[in-house]
Amino acid sequence: MADELDETSGGRYPGTKPVHMGRRTVLGILGLTGIGIAVGTKIDNALGNVSSAVSNAIGVPLPGDDEFRYYTITGSYPVIPADTYELTVDGMVREPLRLRLADLRSMKRTKLVHQFQCVTGWIVPDVHWEGVLLRDVLDRAGVTSRATALRLFSADGAYTESLSLTQAHRPDILVADKMLGANVTADHGGPVRLYVAPMYGYKSIKWLNRIEVSNEVVPGYWEDNGYPVDAWIGGSAPVAGRP
Amino acid sequence: MSSLAEVSRFDLVERLVHWSTAIMMMTLIVTGAILYLPSLALRVGHRGLVENIHVITGLCLLGPLLLGVAGPWRKQLIKDLRRFDRWGASDFDWFRGPTRRSGLERDKFNGGQKIEAAFLGAAMVGALLTGVIMRFAPSSWITWATGATLVHDALFFAIVAAVVTHVAFALSKPDQLVSMFNGRIPRSWAKSHAGAWWSELEVSKGDVSEAGSAEPRGGSSP
Repeated sequence: MADELDETSGGRYPGTKPVHMGRRTVLGILGLTGIGIAVGTKIDNALGNVSSAVSNAIGVPLPGDDEFRYYTITGSYPVIPADTYELTVDGMVREPLRLRLADLRSMKRTKLVHQFQCVTGWIVPDVHWEGVLLRDVLDRAGVTSRATALRLFSADGAYTESLSLTQAHRPDILVADKMLGANVTADHGGPVRLYVAPMYGYKSIKWLNRIEVSNEVVPGYWEDNGYPVDAWIGGSAPVAGRP
Repeated sequence: MSSLAEVSRFDLVERLVHWSTAIMMMTLIVTGAILYLPSLALRVGHRGLVENIHVITGLCLLGPLLLGVAGPWRKQLIKDLRRFDRWGASDFDWFRGPTRRSGLERDKFNGGQKIEAAFLGAAMVGALLTGVIMRFAPSSWITWATGATLVHDALFFAIVAAVVTHVAFALSKPDQLVSMFNGRIPRSWAKSHAGAWWSELEVSKGDVSEAGSAEPRGGSSP
């Protein structure tokens, strides 16, 4: 293209030929972006401790830290006192349940130490989870023979999730009332949330207050927004019992 | 109407590209901060909506620039983009700071403006690529999505720093700020701050009204 900024004219830059610094800058930034995408998981793992320490000190999340991001899809999020909490289990069950926190705590307890992996990429490794296996809750209610699926509801009135009954019977899905070594806080979806270890974070519905047993998988909130219903981390189900 | 005391610095296409990109960039920074910072995420909520605004704005971000270089109206924009690319001694010299610069005649943009433009241009492309991976990649690409998130988060900080610097400089340089609104800048500014560009204007336009009476050149910056 004809251009009055002739590179060889010494007029503007006497005695020197212009250097393509703009192009170098662009290529440099894009190169770093490419490297970051390709080996970012390794960098993320290596940065985890340092980045988290600084992040906690300054109160701002940093790239590569091991901290949770907080998602809420409504304008505010429910803060439910532990002593008024109730989990309803209904639908295709022999005995509908209304479980209070004390009821959940009197059932067989299960602990898991496992990552929380968001579908957008951020990850918190080695999170301590504690609660009751979802399948133990279902067994207590007595799922009828024609049931095939669950619909899960949140106290925020908008967030819903789904699981097939087969998925729900995995030994790595918790109705969790403790995480990170303490009661599940309201911003993490407490007093009770789901934790679906082999799937992306959006399946671990927050402020869980109702489980409806049905015979149809109904896509939940994030699935309606384009994310997969079968949200296996990495694309396929891990071997049962080895979360 | 162009005053004799002023020269054209940005044409209409450049200003439209600048301001539409600026509005989208601010939208992206605000929605990005809501998505990223826990205190804002919990206060504002409505994550699905905020995410959609962020993603759609991000997908449109390069639109004005691409439109700007796509038609016959692109001439001056292309010319200025090339200025961002090509560096001479005076551009490197600019980084020595106002008191130590050697007074070489400068281009239409100084070294700081050139690095800012190149960085922001590249950062926009990088953020678009990583953002698309974060939002649209199949779930089996999770390793790449983690890398993309790392880069996207890092670019957030870098872009905010660049934009804050850009706005701070703009607010402290009224002549240049006004020129991004009305396209014009005083001739005295061009002579003293962008001597090489000023010489170029004299040669290419043969502007007798002012250049004829002006001394040949050498009005280098203090």
